[in-house]
Amino acid sequence: MKPEPLRPDDCAEKVIRFYADMVYRLAYARTGTKCDADEIFQEVFLRYIKKQPVFNNEEHRKAWMIRVTINCSNKLWNSVWKRKAEPLTDTMPFETKQDMDLSDELQQLPQKYREVIHLFYYENMSLEEISRALNRKNSTVRTQLTRARALLRNILKEDDDVQRGI
Amino acid sequence: MMMFSEEYRHMIDQVHPNDELLCHILESAHSGKEKKSKTSASFRKPVIAVIAVCICMSLSVPVLAEKVEPVYQLMYTVSPELAQFFMPVQKSDEDNGIKMEVASACIRGNAADIYITMQDLTGDRIDGTTDLNDSYSINRPFSSLASCQRVGYDQKTKTATFLISITEWGNQKIAGDKITFSVGEFISGKKDYEDIRVPVDLSSAATAKNIKKVDSTGGSGKDYEKYIVEGKTTALTPSRAMDGFPVEGIELTGIGYIGGKLHIQTAVYDNLDKDNHGYFYLKDADGSIVDLDYAFSFLNQFQQPGRIDYDECVFDVPQKKIGNYILYGSFVTSSMHTEGNWRVTFPLKQAEAS
Repeated sequence: MKPEPLRPDDCAEKVIRFYADMVYRLAYARTGTKCDADEIFQEVFLRYIKKQPVFNNEEHRKAWMIRVTINCSNKLWNSVWKRKAEPLTDTMPFETKQDMDLSDELQQLPQKYREVIHLFYYENMSLEEISRALNRKNSTVRTQLTRARALLRNILKEDDDVQRGI
Repeated sequence: MMMFSEEYRHMIDQVHPNDELLCHILESAHSGKEKKSKTSASFRKPVIAVIAVCICMSLSVPVLAEKVEPVYQLMYTVSPELAQFFMPVQKSDEDNGIKMEVASACIRGNAADIYITMQDLTGDRIDGTTDLNDSYSINRPFSSLASCQRVGYDQKTKTATFLISITEWGNQKIAGDKITFSVGEFISGKKDYEDIRVPVDLSSAATAKNIKKVDSTGGSGKDYEKYIVEGKTTALTPSRAMDGFPVEGIELTGIGYIGGKLHIQTAVYDNLDKDNHGYFYLKDADGSIVDLDYAFSFLNQFQQPGRIDYDECVFDVPQKKIGNYILYGSFVTSSMHTEGNWRVTFPLKQAEAS
């Protein structure tokens, strides 16, 4: 069930419930492991609770959530322990083999491609919105998406939907 | 047949935080309300993916050349096209024989790049490895993300240059606001030990006789959650530091089998002043690497003198086969910790394009 739209003065609990899935899914898309997604999820919302940032509108708040999720997963990934110690086997219990295969396939992609794939195909963000959220040039995001699609060509089925915005 | 976007959506829709995790955060939000504060945001750790180096390496500030040599040197090789947007600031603070100066700032809409220099006027505490050790803070009256990283070092003047990048959320212009940058400590004398062979005969690793339950303070690895239950796990009882460990500032305090897995333990004394850390891995005769199964950390005590940080790496290699492997590791240490109180407040001024 889709949550109700937020209002600017909504309490932190409501905001967290609203963005919980978005943050967690992006964290998972980036890291590919449940325990890392758990860690990033907590870090993002603890920062939100601690800093209580003020936003002009909901788009602004969503961008903040996305950016902080990316930052937190960067931090996790850059840790010297993680670099060597984190294999990609802590997977979600997906319903079908097709889902598991797709998840595994995506984990073969570089991290920067996975986040672009996720934001483009799942969050339905335009290249411009992604470039703003990730603080990357529009052309960089376009190239990353193109390369990610090339790497995934075995599972991508080109259609108008896939071509959206490219 | 489903299209990729549908397949992806079907897969990722199944991913969500479990109820316990969500409840934990909601409880934090609830308790946090009682302490709600509207003070300006302050960051102690870099939270933005640092991208501004490349941008600002393409800037030059000839006007600053004589007065701000390190910054000038940093920018010397690149195009002057955007130099007009950089404004000299040159506000400084001095404490403990070290001078911190805000050299220049570049404001573009809702983003700011600011160069800070730190110079040791009396000794050699600033070097090419100086790290602000997460001790800096950037106070500003708007909601934003900020980062700080070292981008240069001038040996002659013993000056390190740092780049602070700030992005305001909401596309509001930030020119006219004031920010305060402060530093309370830094570490230097960093040394990297990359891919070093550890002179330990793994074939002599025996089943550990002295083990104990510890409270893990963190860790990683695919089996971390399996072996750290409600924050507790089994560790080697630390022993006297073993001779011959080649990393100064980190001690090897245990090696042995627990429950069929090889545990290797290191210790660092007073690590809050050092941030010494690293990891182990195994190589077989062909040079193939075996990464650790999981790792965890624990302490002898919290914020008191004599604190020891222990890290324990655990490998899933049977005892009868461990003799086929050689122990390697990569580590980072630092040898100097300097404290002080450096603080500069300055306005964010936008330069007029000529």
